[in-house]
Amino acid sequence: MLFQRKKAKQAASQEKDLYPILHVANSLKEYQKELVQKEVDSLLELGMVGKTFDGVLGEAVVFQTKLEDFGEQFSSINQVSDAFSTVKTQISESVLQAQSKVGELQGVSRQVESHFNEMGLTFSELQEDFNKIKNCMSKITSIADQTNILAINASIEAARAGEQGKGFSVVAIEVKKLADQIKALISEVDSDVQAVEERTGLLSEKIQTSQQALAQSVSDVQTTSEKFDQIIEAAEGASAVQNEISKVVDNSKSALNTVYSFFDKIRDQYQEVVKHINRASALGTTKSAMFEDVDNMISQIPPMLKE
Amino acid sequence: MKQFFGSSQRGSLQEATQGLRDPQLIMLMSNPRQFEQHVQELERLFPQVPSIGCIGMSYSTQVIESGVGVVAYSGVTAAANVLEQVSVMPVKYIQRLQQDVKKVSASGQNTICIDFCSGNDACALTTIYTVLKPLRMSLVGGTGDGGRVSANGRIYEDAVVYALVKNNQGRVKAYKENIYHQMGSYRFIASRTDRARYVIGALNGQPARDVYQKILNVSEQEILTQTFKNPFGKVNGNDTCIISIKEVNGNALACYRQVNDSDVLNLLELGDYRAIVKDTLSAIQADFPKISAVFSVNCLFRYKLFTQNNYMRDYLKEMGALNGHAGLVGYGEHFNNQFVNQSMSCVVFE
Repeated sequence: MLFQRKKAKQAASQEKDLYPILHVANSLKEYQKELVQKEVDSLLELGMVGKTFDGVLGEAVVFQTKLEDFGEQFSSINQVSDAFSTVKTQISESVLQAQSKVGELQGVSRQVESHFNEMGLTFSELQEDFNKIKNCMSKITSIADQTNILAINASIEAARAGEQGKGFSVVAIEVKKLADQIKALISEVDSDVQAVEERTGLLSEKIQTSQQALAQSVSDVQTTSEKFDQIIEAAEGASAVQNEISKVVDNSKSALNTVYSFFDKIRDQYQEVVKHINRASALGTTKSAMFEDVDNMISQIPPMLKE
Repeated sequence: MKQFFGSSQRGSLQEATQGLRDPQLIMLMSNPRQFEQHVQELERLFPQVPSIGCIGMSYSTQVIESGVGVVAYSGVTAAANVLEQVSVMPVKYIQRLQQDVKKVSASGQNTICIDFCSGNDACALTTIYTVLKPLRMSLVGGTGDGGRVSANGRIYEDAVVYALVKNNQGRVKAYKENIYHQMGSYRFIASRTDRARYVIGALNGQPARDVYQKILNVSEQEILTQTFKNPFGKVNGNDTCIISIKEVNGNALACYRQVNDSDVLNLLELGDYRAIVKDTLSAIQADFPKISAVFSVNCLFRYKLFTQNNYMRDYLKEMGALNGHAGLVGYGEHFNNQFVNQSMSCVVFE
């Protein structure tokens, strides 16, 4: 009985001695619980940071996509601009071809003009020849008139001569007839020459009209050629505008590339942050395993002390 | 070193140990009905030989579901012992392990700790690993059935039994195989947990049951079978420890492993397990051109999954190609200080 009392007293004393250790274990357990709660909060916060950052990354990706679209738009402008250049080249080529044809036309027109000039000259010469013919005709008519008078005179003389003059009278009559025939012929020729002269005059007028039309045509061709030059000049001017557009687009693209590289850098830094978040998160998960180990060890102290 | 595997489908230890000569360590895998008898008989047959035992199915080229299986080693230096009162204070017996480490002159390069546990595995592993970690020594083991384990001819309840096995002729290395991978980007922080009852109350502040059901679109009744395809994964740095769901507990989920407040969990999905097994074999063969033995612990869930999918026989055949493969179907797997579910852990002896 005494032994039992002594043993109980010893146990009570031991319990009293060990109580501080029990207290420490219980306190550690409380701290551990609190630490775990803080870790839960930290992990949740880290999760939120990660989630928010995922959002930021997503937005950055969207923005970068938009920038890429923007870049593509620039490329489209350049493509359109290039197409414009092609059209300009085609216009220039067509105009040059047309100009070449106009040149040929100018050459042909000049040849025609030269032929017309020659024709005019020939007509002038022809006119002179007609005048000469008309002079000759007039002279022939005058001669025929004189011959006629002579024939009449001869007839009168022949009549005076009587019988002896009969034969002469016949000749005189015949001469008169011939003179009349000549006059009639000359009159005919005269009217024919007049008709030819009239027609030649008309032809000459026509030729003059044609020459005027040709001159107008040559002038028009010249104007057309000048217009073509203006088109080429205008096309060259458009080309300069296109070059300006290309320059502006290139500058914009260069600026865009700078933005791209900025985004690449940002993205690298984002990835670095994500890496750190993941690393922190992974460390957090290893901590939770350690908390379990700590708890597993601390939780053994109170039962041991109680024993 | 050499590994012996003997078995008897009808539960005859005599038959299972036929041909076993001069073992340096014996591991017994028995059935609930004959466990006690087998432990005593083994001690009688091989007195003074260090031994550990548990209730569970064993396998080599085929699975011994209700009989008895024996794995034994020769060419090793071994010690077996027990940490008792594992549910409350296994650390009270830690000196046993420390003395055994000294006894076998254990080093991380050539010694493995194999354990069978009756429960409170996480606490048991934390305690054991406080001794193993400074030595960089690995641990492979599992949970036995029926809350009973044995060491050196004696049965213990509420205990973890261990064997330190030192390969006298080469290296040892432990492996863990996970046939699941993360599903989507689901990531949760566990809270309102009950560590003692392995309960998860909430995931990211929402009732755990609702979260699981909503994501997988399954009924409450389907949750227990869905865990075969979609267990949870406890994230530990770059590693993932699988956690199986045991039952629905109101709005909470009870698991086969302790979950703590602040544990980060993923939702997992089944991967191409045939390919993953091949990868494990390749990794082992790359590490060990010459293999003496392989002892593995496969989860009961994996056994069921592989059997359902007519793969178990092929699996054992493939593992058998490693030379002398044997193991235990566990109710939980141990890898270093990790207590995991639906996994395979193994030790390879050079």
